[in-house]
Amino acid sequence: MTSVPASGNAGGLKVSDIVSGYGNQLVLHGLSLAIDPGTLVSVIGPNGHGKTTLLRTISGQVPLRDGHVQLNGTDISGRPVDAITAAGVVHVPQGDLLFTGMTVYENLLMGAYLVTDQASLQDRLDQVFALLPKLAERRNQITDSLSGGERRMVGIGRGLMTGGQVLMLDEPSLGLAPIVIDAIYELVEKLKAEGRSILLVEESPERVVDFADRIYLLDNGEINWNGTAAELSANEELLSTYLGV
Amino acid sequence: MSPETVAQIVLTGLTVGAMYALATIGLSLIWGSLGMLNMAHGVFLTIGGYSAYAAVSVAGLPWPSGIAAALLFGALIGLLLYLGVVRWMVETANFETNIIIASFGVAIALENSVLRIFGGQPFGQPLVMHGAVDVGLVSIPYQNIIIIIGSAGLMVVASYMMRQTRLGRAIRAVSQQRDAAGLMGVPVQRIFLIVLVFSGMLSAISGVMLTSSTQLAPALGQDPMIKAFIMCVVAGLGHIGGAVAMAFALAMIEAAAQFWLGARWGFPTLLTLVILVLIVRPAGLFGRVSITRL
Repeated sequence: MTSVPASGNAGGLKVSDIVSGYGNQLVLHGLSLAIDPGTLVSVIGPNGHGKTTLLRTISGQVPLRDGHVQLNGTDISGRPVDAITAAGVVHVPQGDLLFTGMTVYENLLMGAYLVTDQASLQDRLDQVFALLPKLAERRNQITDSLSGGERRMVGIGRGLMTGGQVLMLDEPSLGLAPIVIDAIYELVEKLKAEGRSILLVEESPERVVDFADRIYLLDNGEINWNGTAAELSANEELLSTYLGV
Repeated sequence: MSPETVAQIVLTGLTVGAMYALATIGLSLIWGSLGMLNMAHGVFLTIGGYSAYAAVSVAGLPWPSGIAAALLFGALIGLLLYLGVVRWMVETANFETNIIIASFGVAIALENSVLRIFGGQPFGQPLVMHGAVDVGLVSIPYQNIIIIIGSAGLMVVASYMMRQTRLGRAIRAVSQQRDAAGLMGVPVQRIFLIVLVFSGMLSAISGVMLTSSTQLAPALGQDPMIKAFIMCVVAGLGHIGGAVAMAFALAMIEAAAQFWLGARWGFPTLLTLVILVLIVRPAGLFGRVSITRL
């Protein structure tokens, strides 16, 4: 088991020695990482090595067998999914998972399910539309008829509507055309510039090296390496062995 | 065929359709949001009918108490079904199959309880309005008018709740993407509970209306349950609006078949049509294969 020392900062999201999996199959074997407030941390690694399981475990969708997840020093391990969201951890899942038959506006409203105050709701909506003006244009369109890139934007916008403190994005570029991926990453950069705490999962380091504050390499359910983007770029052996770059 | 005959068939179809629709909404709602074929659904109708009877005829309370008792016991049965069965099974493997057996067991237990408490002798439902109004050559019983208007009102309420409210959006979200709904902060288990309670209340009121034009008997929910199931399948699983439309359409067809072919042939005619529809549209008339742009 390779354990990476997490940040000493009490704020942000701290994952300590977590073990989880499906049925008898363990996928994560005691990994640790930390996202300090206002930073962007990226987890990269080959497919099938536990990246999505990591996010699903943090957000409570996969039961935690061991270890702890803390948000701003509060242990949120073992809480139900909705309680973890309410605590401030937002998970934008892989593959959109939009609500069909609902408009863009209704999907965004679902993101703000926990907000009951109309003024706060409108405030969040304004913020999301300012970041993603396309969604304002498509506001009354049923999401089923949107393009893949637009649906991804709705998924991220819906996540932002929850107003959480830590945003977890699971392969936001997956299956999209390069031009759309550029737009997605422009948005991620904007979110980072706003000072949001972001945990970004991607298969390849290419898109994240430009602005990730720290990168973790996940291999077979363990963190095999972590460091800055510059350190990763300089480590040719690591890039070729694990990432085929 | 005379206009009076057509009017009579339409009236019968509307009345029966309104009752089927109410029974169908509850079944479709549970099916759509939990993926649960609730075999105890028919007993929800039975409990509603008997609760109204007990409040008015046994306890001697005024008639509005009968409606209140049906709503209360319908909600209670929904609550108990959740707490006793669904809560423990919904996240387990093979839930959709196992819950059929479990809810069937609940249905048998409740039906036998009704039999033990009230006996097998049929009763008349006290919540009946006698008399009729003549419209042209057709005589429309007040009871039928109440059933149609009452059902329409409840369907409007249910439809508004599902389409326009935060709770309705949450139910629709859970029914489509349970995981994603949870990630939005929707308390999925609480939504399940609300759906079962709401469905119990709707079905109990449907049971009161149903028994106001038939009779109270422990097995009274079985026939509407089977028909509600058929309507849900023909409409497309979980499609509430479609299920309501099917309830009226199939009730009309059944009424027409009973008139022309005899009472015995109403249901077989209905089933023949259903089979034909499902051969042509396997996902149901309103069910659709999801097409997504890439």
